[in-house]
Amino acid sequence: METVNTDKALQNILRLTDNIETVIKGKRNQVKFVLTALLAKGHILMEDNPGTGKTVMAKTLAQSISGVGAHDSVSFKRIQFTPDLLPMDLLGSHIFDDIKKEFIFKKGPLFCNILLADEINRASPKVQSALLECMAENQITMGEITYKLSDLFFTIATQNPVEMEGTYPLPAAQLDRFFIKIVFGYVDEETELGIYKDYLGINNNLMHLQQVLGIDEILHLQQQSEDVFVHEEIIKAVRNIVWATRRNPDIVLAASTRAGIIFLKCLKAYALVNGRTYVIEDDVKDLSQPVLHHRLIYRNKEAKANTLNNIVFVEMDRLSKLRIH
Amino acid sequence: MKISKKYSIKKIVARLALLVIPAMAIGAYLLWHLNAYYSVLESQWITESLFLATGLFAGCLFYSFRFRFITTFLPLLLLLFIVNKIVNNLYTGEFTAFYATTKFYIFAFLFVTGWLAGWAFARLRWFPAVLSALLMLLQIIVVSNTTDITAQKLILAFAPVLVFAFYIIYTAELVLNMNDDEPKFTWFLTKKIIAFAAIAGIILLLILSFYKKEFQAIEKQYGGGKSEQQVPNKESLTKENKDGSVSNKKEMGLSGGRSSTKRLVFIAKLDNYFPNSDMPNPLYYTYDYYTKFDTSTQTLEVDSLMPSNDLFQPDPSKIPVYFTKTDSSVLVKAKGFLKRKVVSTEVYKALLSPKEFLAPETAFFCQPIAVEKDYRQQFKSAYRAKMLVSELNSAYFVYNPAGNKELEAFQKQRFDELRKVSTWNNEDAAFMSYYTFIPKGDDFDSIRVLANEITKNALAPIDKIIAVRNYFLSRDETGQPLFKYTENPGVPGLPSASKLNYFLFENRKGYCAYYAGATLFLLRALGLPTRVATGFLTMDRSTKNKGWYWFYEDQAHAWTQVFFPGYGWIDFDTTIPSTEQQQAPAPDGTPPITVQTALFVTHGKVTEVDTSKKRVDMSVSQMIYHDKTFDLKKPVLLDMDVSLATISKDSGEVSLGELKKGNEITALSFSEQFKDIAMKDSNNYEEIFQKIPKPAPIDEIKIIDTTQEKQQVKKEIKKNTLPFSQILRFGIIILVLVILLIFSLPWIIFKWLSYKARSAAALSQKAYWSYMAATYYCNQLGRSRGDMSPALFARGKIDTEFKTNLFAFMQVYLKTKYAKESLTNSEQAIIQNFYTPFYKAVKEKVPFKERFSKFLNFYRTINFFSKPKI
Repeated sequence: METVNTDKALQNILRLTDNIETVIKGKRNQVKFVLTALLAKGHILMEDNPGTGKTVMAKTLAQSISGVGAHDSVSFKRIQFTPDLLPMDLLGSHIFDDIKKEFIFKKGPLFCNILLADEINRASPKVQSALLECMAENQITMGEITYKLSDLFFTIATQNPVEMEGTYPLPAAQLDRFFIKIVFGYVDEETELGIYKDYLGINNNLMHLQQVLGIDEILHLQQQSEDVFVHEEIIKAVRNIVWATRRNPDIVLAASTRAGIIFLKCLKAYALVNGRTYVIEDDVKDLSQPVLHHRLIYRNKEAKANTLNNIVFVEMDRLSKLRIH
Repeated sequence: MKISKKYSIKKIVARLALLVIPAMAIGAYLLWHLNAYYSVLESQWITESLFLATGLFAGCLFYSFRFRFITTFLPLLLLLFIVNKIVNNLYTGEFTAFYATTKFYIFAFLFVTGWLAGWAFARLRWFPAVLSALLMLLQIIVVSNTTDITAQKLILAFAPVLVFAFYIIYTAELVLNMNDDEPKFTWFLTKKIIAFAAIAGIILLLILSFYKKEFQAIEKQYGGGKSEQQVPNKESLTKENKDGSVSNKKEMGLSGGRSSTKRLVFIAKLDNYFPNSDMPNPLYYTYDYYTKFDTSTQTLEVDSLMPSNDLFQPDPSKIPVYFTKTDSSVLVKAKGFLKRKVVSTEVYKALLSPKEFLAPETAFFCQPIAVEKDYRQQFKSAYRAKMLVSELNSAYFVYNPAGNKELEAFQKQRFDELRKVSTWNNEDAAFMSYYTFIPKGDDFDSIRVLANEITKNALAPIDKIIAVRNYFLSRDETGQPLFKYTENPGVPGLPSASKLNYFLFENRKGYCAYYAGATLFLLRALGLPTRVATGFLTMDRSTKNKGWYWFYEDQAHAWTQVFFPGYGWIDFDTTIPSTEQQQAPAPDGTPPITVQTALFVTHGKVTEVDTSKKRVDMSVSQMIYHDKTFDLKKPVLLDMDVSLATISKDSGEVSLGELKKGNEITALSFSEQFKDIAMKDSNNYEEIFQKIPKPAPIDEIKIIDTTQEKQQVKKEIKKNTLPFSQILRFGIIILVLVILLIFSLPWIIFKWLSYKARSAAALSQKAYWSYMAATYYCNQLGRSRGDMSPALFARGKIDTEFKTNLFAFMQVYLKTKYAKESLTNSEQAIIQNFYTPFYKAVKEKVPFKERFSKFLNFYRTINFFSKPKI
């Protein structure tokens, strides 16, 4: 029974990935990370220069699971963050109903399943905090009333590099809320050529993107990812990496226990995304950067470039020499 | 964390060929030069250079890879230290230990020096300059210490070092700065070297021609040429041992003079008489033969490998009293069968070491005998020996008592007999070429000319020998004797060619070794197989005790022996009598006449000693009863009454308390009680033990010294140098093996992993070993995983390069490693069919040359197995 389900889950993921890839070309890894964050019930932060396809990515994902008119479609909202954005623009506000003569709550765009928070670092910290709170709690509290968000609430945030003008950098504590932070990056030369040749087609694809999965299926996949088997040595490896960040003098703010738990969750989801029901050492290597890097504060630039890599390298070496029966 | 390529094979080879090998050559040259300058007698510069070269080569090769210096050098020192301890413990005898240790020190010093230089060549850029400076300094010191400087010697000392200095600095930079990617690298190097050689040659020639006058001036100033060092003649043919006994001295060869002291060494009774006469025919007592002329050291040497080695050299102190040791093989090797007879001798040793054995001609039998009580003070031990001697042999050749008709008749008769021999054609060619060997050279040519000149009127070989003797006895035109006997001839160390010439043509003064050496070459020049024998000169001075001879220290002697086919080796002593002939003191006292024969002799180990009751128990392993020897299959316990017995060791009489349990002893009984025991079966030793009185009365107990030798000199060294050099060879072999092992380690490890990968039965095992073998192989071939994840490494690096299916395998392997679920059939098939095709695919893509060189690099192996450092 278990295997049948697993097979189905794997098929679903494959369908989803393939569907996304009709639009997003040459970004297989990034797509995987996005799906990983989705399946791990987390949120993802994508950082890069404007124009690298972050928004298209988010939209494609959203459309793939929220076809227009389907009964189990997910709701997709997009908020463009600006410096003058206010928290109530996100959360919604109480407005006076003339007919009923009472204040009713007008839900803001956060009440959705997939939220694209575009250029999150352009908004003021106040707005950022408002968003991040609901990302963490999965609920919105207005006055005395607490509104539960949907079971599936997935935020895809994008941000421009911190150095750019007019940005409010996210504080470490808030970055911690994002399970995964990836750098989108440019596609390789060949793919880029392909994109130029077929930009109309790609656009067309986006317009006519089919919904391939429903919300239930996503929730089921999330459930499935919890069941992925993690070998004790992999758990140990996670523990070792987390501890190594704490011991390393070049790291000022080390990984927390929560970071470790998130790492494990992501590992499970990532294994599933890769079509496996068990976590292998490659996953540890692949995920260590996206999951941990943005949570750490380093002493200097060089440390930022190398420290985590070295820590993971040592641990990978240990794993690769292990003999498990 | 990538392995950067810090070395290149081309560079290493270039360094070894262009820097290390010339350094070896200059090292060998310097060692030879030093040996020559300090006139080291047993020059071993070849072996020494070998040590140095080994160290140089090993060091340079070793440090061409990324070894740290301190961490490898200290273990090396430790290893040498341990070997030193072993060598020290192995050789407990004082002299041999000293000898072996010294040799080891020389080895260790040279090896470590070489090792350091090798290291410096590999690592230090400025080293060639320092080395050149050091070598120049060394040569300056050496040359400034010598008294006779000639231009030739100066050039000899400095030219090679100078050339080497320029060469090594130039080439070191060349090698250091070379670009090993250059395609015509070898040709480029060859061009440069040839150009260098040409320029160096021209410069040297210019220097020589410009400064020729200066050189000659220096030569004059320092009065070079033939200055003869006057060394006091302290050397003697005999040598005193630590305990005061005397052995024949051997290590100096024939360079020593004769001892001037006149202590009694031994006396001997020799039952050799002229045919049909009661006139004693004295024979020289031989100790050793000098047969081989070493051209490199210019010395005549004892050679244990001489053809037909007929020397019987037992150690009488190791043979239980009255037991015998025989070696009949020497009789065959002596090659004499005509006019031969067996003669026996009894030697009573006074100063002579108990371990020494001397006998005339071809001895084959040795039996230590007891010395009668009254003489024990004077003679410490004695033995009886039997020899096969020629009837034609005699000590009389130069020393011819004038007017003795009988002797003259004998001489004439034996010369007539020997005159029949005219050719050696039937002799073994190797034997002949060995015993007639003369080195080439002008000096020896002049000897050859002289030999032909002297013997131009003689036809038969024996006449030639007589002619040589007569030449030494001849007088010059003024009526003075041409040659003189002197204990102080001025030039020590015969017989190098120049010294022989000096003796034969200029000085014409010398002692026995001079005449023996000169005769050897004169006779060999005539094609007569000749050797020099050393031992003792036998002089018949006795009137009342015929056949007894007394030997004093100044009778240590050297003489020549000539081989006559059929007759064997015959002594011809050409040493002329001293004009101021010092007669050895006349024989004093009476010789010990052995009247007693031991009736009962047992040999075995002491089991119990009771000093109060004077009783000793021994377990007998060998026994002589009434001249019959028994080898006991099972040791028999014998109860002995020692109340009357004298107990002795080699060093003399000792008390009963000295006898300890476990000592090896020989017990003798002269008691009458043994005389009249009737035997049914004289072959049954058990019966003897039943019938003999209990306890058995014992007259003498001799403790056999089984502890390590302390007095043996050259004989022991000769034997021990072999094991020592074997140890050395062994050490070098081990070192080479270790180096080989280090370099072949990657290959061995890979083969082992491969074997495991192929032979593992369980699937998970097979997956693991295949994974290990495959990644190890890739790593060793320079495709290390680095910081890639296994799957990425497999897909992105190996599979793309070699078109293998490592990725698929890796997926399955990781599944076996981390997943709970079991493998599907197709996954099992992947594991089963992975390794061999993978290995073949990779092997095909990488050329053998590359594989070979990469597999030499065990640093990759270390890297593969070690934990990464950050």
